[in-house]
Amino acid sequence: MKTISQAVKTYKSKTIKPVWCPGCGDYGVLAALDKTFKALEFKPEDIAIVSGIGCSGRFSHYFNSYSLHGTHGRALPTATGLKTVRPDLHVVTIGGDGDGLSIGGGHIAHAARKNVDLTYIILDNNVYGMTKGQSSPTTPLEYKTKTAPYGVYEEALNPIAMFLAYNIGYIARTTSTDSKGLLSILTEAIQHKGFSMVYVMSPCVTYSVLPYAKLKDIVAPLPEDHDTSDKMSAFKYAYSDEHMYTGVFYKEEKSCLNERLQEVFNIAKISKTTSEIMAEFK
Amino acid sequence: MGKIGTHKLKSKIDFIIRVAGEGGEGVMSCGELFAKAVARTSYHVFTFITYPTEMKGGYAMTQIRIKDITIYSMGSFVDCLVAFNQEAYDKSIPYLKEGGILIYDPEFAKIDESKKVIKYPIPFSKIAVDTIGRPLGKNVVVLGILSHIYGLEHPGLEKLIDDRYGSKGEKVVEGNIKALKAGADAAAKIGVITVMDLSKSEPAAEDYMFISGNQAVALGAIAAGCRFSAGYPLTPATSIFETLSKYLPLVGGRTIQMEDEIAAISAIIGASFGGEKVITPTSGPGIQLMAEQLSLASMLELPIVVVDVQRGGPSTGLPTKTEQGDVKFAVYGAAGESPRIILAPTNVEDTFYQTIRAFNLAEKYQMPVILLTDQSIGYRKATVKMPDFAKIFMVDKYDRKAKVKIPNAEHIDLVQRQIPTEEELKDYKRYRDTKTGISPIARPGTPDGQYLATGLEHDEYGKTNQGPENHLKMSKKRFRKLEEVSKAFEKNPMETYGDPNVRIGIMGWGSTEGAIREARYLAELQGIKIRHLHPHTISPLPERQISKFLHRLKHLIIVEENLTGQFSHFIKAKFGVNPIEVHKCEGMPFTSDEIYNAIMKVARIADEDNITSS
Repeated sequence: MKTISQAVKTYKSKTIKPVWCPGCGDYGVLAALDKTFKALEFKPEDIAIVSGIGCSGRFSHYFNSYSLHGTHGRALPTATGLKTVRPDLHVVTIGGDGDGLSIGGGHIAHAARKNVDLTYIILDNNVYGMTKGQSSPTTPLEYKTKTAPYGVYEEALNPIAMFLAYNIGYIARTTSTDSKGLLSILTEAIQHKGFSMVYVMSPCVTYSVLPYAKLKDIVAPLPEDHDTSDKMSAFKYAYSDEHMYTGVFYKEEKSCLNERLQEVFNIAKISKTTSEIMAEFK
Repeated sequence: MGKIGTHKLKSKIDFIIRVAGEGGEGVMSCGELFAKAVARTSYHVFTFITYPTEMKGGYAMTQIRIKDITIYSMGSFVDCLVAFNQEAYDKSIPYLKEGGILIYDPEFAKIDESKKVIKYPIPFSKIAVDTIGRPLGKNVVVLGILSHIYGLEHPGLEKLIDDRYGSKGEKVVEGNIKALKAGADAAAKIGVITVMDLSKSEPAAEDYMFISGNQAVALGAIAAGCRFSAGYPLTPATSIFETLSKYLPLVGGRTIQMEDEIAAISAIIGASFGGEKVITPTSGPGIQLMAEQLSLASMLELPIVVVDVQRGGPSTGLPTKTEQGDVKFAVYGAAGESPRIILAPTNVEDTFYQTIRAFNLAEKYQMPVILLTDQSIGYRKATVKMPDFAKIFMVDKYDRKAKVKIPNAEHIDLVQRQIPTEEELKDYKRYRDTKTGISPIARPGTPDGQYLATGLEHDEYGKTNQGPENHLKMSKKRFRKLEEVSKAFEKNPMETYGDPNVRIGIMGWGSTEGAIREARYLAELQGIKIRHLHPHTISPLPERQISKFLHRLKHLIIVEENLTGQFSHFIKAKFGVNPIEVHKCEGMPFTSDEIYNAIMKVARIADEDNITSS
């Protein structure tokens, strides 16, 4: 048995060091996730990290876990398959605003419907960083990027409102600089039964669409009287023009995919052997 | 036993019956109930179905062949035709043999009186209305007529009707049983002939399943130990996922329907990473979407099985019709070079065993295996011998040198994924560059087995490394596995049939096997001998076997159900031969007559060659 005193480094990859730009918000999230695993006393061999493509995609490289770095936009369905057959593993999926909301955006609604028991961390830097500065689904209208040199001609998504509409059972937003907030939200999200969404504003220092200083100005914690079971209140704060609210927007306990599939076994009732099944086709 | 006009029966039984009508008229269920009843006798049954893409309306037909020996194809011409309406009559009458039996509803079809067939106008729609008050029961009235012609006992049919319609309530079952009797009575009243008495047939001596090719995939997967499937409905593959969804939970497995095919293949990659044997069934339009993830599975070296039940293309094409149009995509559809194995089953029974083989190959060589079937196999139903469940053997997960046999009814090896030993876990290299290229996979949850599976080029540990030497080394490692597969395939028994000393050869792949085999028998009756090679492994090809086959041939025919001869391209490119290509691109499978005609043409050319050279 491994002990409670497992050091944070137990969770870090033994050979691979992060390659993000100095000052990248992702470092803060990486450190927080290491701390979260330590706080939850997970064994590294029971952790599975699944990521897609982009700066966020590299996340899976930096853990001493079972890690799968797949293709662009497909981390969520890949992780869904993994968690379905291995409910015993702690599955964390990571994507960015491009990987998660653009190419892979269609998968979120369905992972939410399945309520697959995993945590999805989206790191939003409002830009395609790894490919060097193109527009992402959260780049603001009229902002000039390499693929919109005269200004972005699309409206930015409102991801939190979208997640609320998808009926995701745990939705929180925080920033990469708020290490305390990250630790508490990640801990709660990973322990949450079902699909949990942790949305992290993680500024890009190289293509600085949302610089740290500006982020600090617009961010505000959700008011203390916000009731996390009140979806309409959550919508109201998600749509706020005044602030970018952080904290837990919404929480709801419901049955998760593995429980529902277990229910399938109960309905099917009889367990059979392969030969018994084939006999049904006589 | 009676005769059918001038069509005299030989010593053996071989009847072909076609029920043709409109989609939604119950043509399929009529045919299926009839075939199921026959399947319980000692005779072999084979059904072929074609139906329109629309839910209702359009030409639909089911063809049932009954034989006392193994059946290889749906046959070319029919002995008995049931036509529900004018369109069904018009489209099917050219296929009715001279002297055959024609049963039609005079209210809905005007027929050509000059046709030399035995004609029985029976108003089955009116009979259905008179008996149960609805025209919809007419398919069961027809079943009653067929039961009269082929001597099927009613208690057996009534049981099948109860199984099928029981969930719709007692009234429906009763109505259908009345309709069944009314049909048989009507046939007896006007003196319809009885051509055989199936009720006198012995019950089947051995255990047989009566299943479709799609069901064979699902059951093969279950037998192979597959316990996870993710899918997305796509005609004509859907019934595979439906069957898995019904039966996998009974053996402790799980299925999840995903939002699209990309998500489906992603989910099985995730589940395979988790240590499970996995499958996703699809058709051409779906496998196109899966291309990127097929490459990922090659790169991560994870075992997955993907089934492509081919349909007519390109694009949406002919969703409910057959074609062999995806073979090039299956082999090469990828960015970069990604090793994979392509298997092509030849018939329903073979589909069951090739599915098990697909899992064995995927688990052993850690790469995607694509099983290329097609609509004609997927929807056809045939009697399949039950495997011997006492003869299933697990291959040890630490046995790195195990010889795995091709599964058959007498012997099934089941490969388990190689896992690292304790010694190997001390410094675990997931992608260790071994002699065979195969490196054991740690199952998540195993202490010290943690590794990174990345689609980026990586070193033996899994750490990304895009250096020139590493890329070459790891590319070679991945393809060395394919060379191992190739070596293993060469050791398999030759997949050739017919006289080894003749100069005319014929090649095909997949579902054309039966029609080619029957055409060869027909040609032999005329004294024309040919050799037939039908590889199950489309990629890698058993090259030495093919060379050996080609060696003595003067004339080579390659048969394919597509327009451009995709498989032929492989053979021409690899072996420098110049075959006579026979293509069919009509959405329908080859009949043995069509292939027989091609063989006879080539035989005439060969004959002329002999004259000129002598």
